[in-house]
Amino acid sequence: MKPLRLALTKGRLEKDTVGLFEKMGFDCTNLHEKGRKLILSIPETNMEIVLAKAADVITYVEHGVCDIGVVGKDTIMENSSSFYEVLDLGFGRCRFALAGKKGADFYEGYALKTIATKYPNVARSYFKHKGMDIDIVKIEGSVELAPLLGLADAIVDIVETGTTLKENGLEVFETIADISARMIVNIASLKLRKQEIEGLIAKIEQVQKSGSEQSNA
Amino acid sequence: MSRYDLVTPQGTKDLLFEQCSVRRAVQQKMTKKFSDRGFHEVITPGIEFFDVFDTSSRYLPQEIMYKLVDNKGRLLVMRPDNTTPIARLAATRLKNEPMPLRLYYHQNVYRVSPSLKGRSDETIQMGVELIGSGSAKADLEIIGMAASCLREFSPDYRIEIGHSGFFKILSESLPADRRTKRDIQKAIESKNYAALNDLLDSLEASEASAALKQLPRLFGGEEVFPAAAALFHDDRAREILDSLEKLYHNLKALGLGENIMLDLGLANSHDYYTGVIFTGYLQGIGEPVLSGGRYDNLLIEFGADLPAIGFGLDVDSVSKFLMEKDPSGRSRPADMLVHANEGYCIQALGYLSRKIAENNVCEYSCFDSVEDAKSYCKEKGIRELHIVDETTTIMGL
Repeated sequence: MKPLRLALTKGRLEKDTVGLFEKMGFDCTNLHEKGRKLILSIPETNMEIVLAKAADVITYVEHGVCDIGVVGKDTIMENSSSFYEVLDLGFGRCRFALAGKKGADFYEGYALKTIATKYPNVARSYFKHKGMDIDIVKIEGSVELAPLLGLADAIVDIVETGTTLKENGLEVFETIADISARMIVNIASLKLRKQEIEGLIAKIEQVQKSGSEQSNA
Repeated sequence: MSRYDLVTPQGTKDLLFEQCSVRRAVQQKMTKKFSDRGFHEVITPGIEFFDVFDTSSRYLPQEIMYKLVDNKGRLLVMRPDNTTPIARLAATRLKNEPMPLRLYYHQNVYRVSPSLKGRSDETIQMGVELIGSGSAKADLEIIGMAASCLREFSPDYRIEIGHSGFFKILSESLPADRRTKRDIQKAIESKNYAALNDLLDSLEASEASAALKQLPRLFGGEEVFPAAAALFHDDRAREILDSLEKLYHNLKALGLGENIMLDLGLANSHDYYTGVIFTGYLQGIGEPVLSGGRYDNLLIEFGADLPAIGFGLDVDSVSKFLMEKDPSGRSRPADMLVHANEGYCIQALGYLSRKIAENNVCEYSCFDSVEDAKSYCKEKGIRELHIVDETTTIMGL
């Protein structure tokens, strides 16, 4: 039987996922000692782990070369495609926010607003829902610079603690959406390998549940 | 100025040799299947008026259509879908024919896909439309046919059935605006349990919202029916469930066994389906290769109130699947090269015809010298060189 292939977003989500797997009782030695390998196996399971950049996780899952993916809701919102989003994994929490210079009134005046962002699709759809026309400038690095330098009226970006904003004299105007890590599943895989995938989902849900019970106790 | 004379546009490709023969084989198999069942082929134009696809029962985003303008300034599109033009054709030119109509097609569709996603803008589909019958018998026939089409390519296939009515009925009573309902539908469609729960929890709790919460989880085998029956309290939803159960058991009785599955959460927001919907998968392909359903409200848009059901098969995906399964299918070299010595061209062509009649694949040599013909054979892997003169010499290579 072909192994069930999981694509993990490299970095923090990968670490959190490995933590989750360990709680589920999987042997994650290979994941800790991965070296430069990109495809890793989990012994005694029929699972294979692929490490990839966030947007690539979505691409691999959508095309069905990976059955399951772990990816942030931010990436899902920016790259709309078709797959099943079956589970909120609860870690990697942060939010999308609209932010700008402290004390400024973003909605003031009739001039077209300029938004700097790494997430043009998220920004566009947010303002489309508001029925507001905006200009979007795509920035690759520190988006916070754009309003400071006078390129943009505000930014749409991921905010975790808000420290960077604060230190640069910016503040959050509005929260756009809450973000956390999600488990996504290829459409055909969920149908063709239902038992395996549902088994895995149930196991994760169980660990999540016992985790939240412990923290409540 | 840069010229684009050496490449094809994004999303299109050239097909060579074995790719063509695999595709042709798929088409031949399907053509036989369809015509054996009394379906007749129709061909609709590659370009149509935009208005044909601007129907209220089917939503095709305008940005996915390739557009052109005719000499009167009217907007045309390259066929983005097969069912809609066939509905137009049936509702206009065939509306007085004895019903039902059994039609099949084998045509390209063109859709603008997002760049750099590895998708094709030009794909070829084959499918059937059974127009003029709204009966359960029609549903059974068409889904049974869909299954037998997939079985031609692999025993490891799945047909999954659902019904567009569940979402419609259950969401009717929800105290939510259209946008929220659409978001709920999207969450069901993408089995986004977290978002679905959030959306429904924000509304007043009701039997319908409890049922909708479970709807995307209602997929799998027979066990789905009792689970759904416990959740659905609306009589119409129960009626649909009963009819679906009958269909399911009939399909099992047809020998589909484990290959038939259920997904009551199939709720495609962009489709024109009004009744049973189904999707086909082949093990190893990450997306559906076949999709279909009942669309009883489409033909009325073109002036004929006729129920209909049909499906389309993605010939490209199936061809790719077959190529991967059997990569050995490389196109074979000819069996022989027939070379005419100076002055024997006519005799050689006669010889070639005779050899073809004996079921050989023969190439005719365009070379002047036997040496050149020989080295060509070696390069191409042709095993025999037949040299036509007063007598014929056969050189094995």
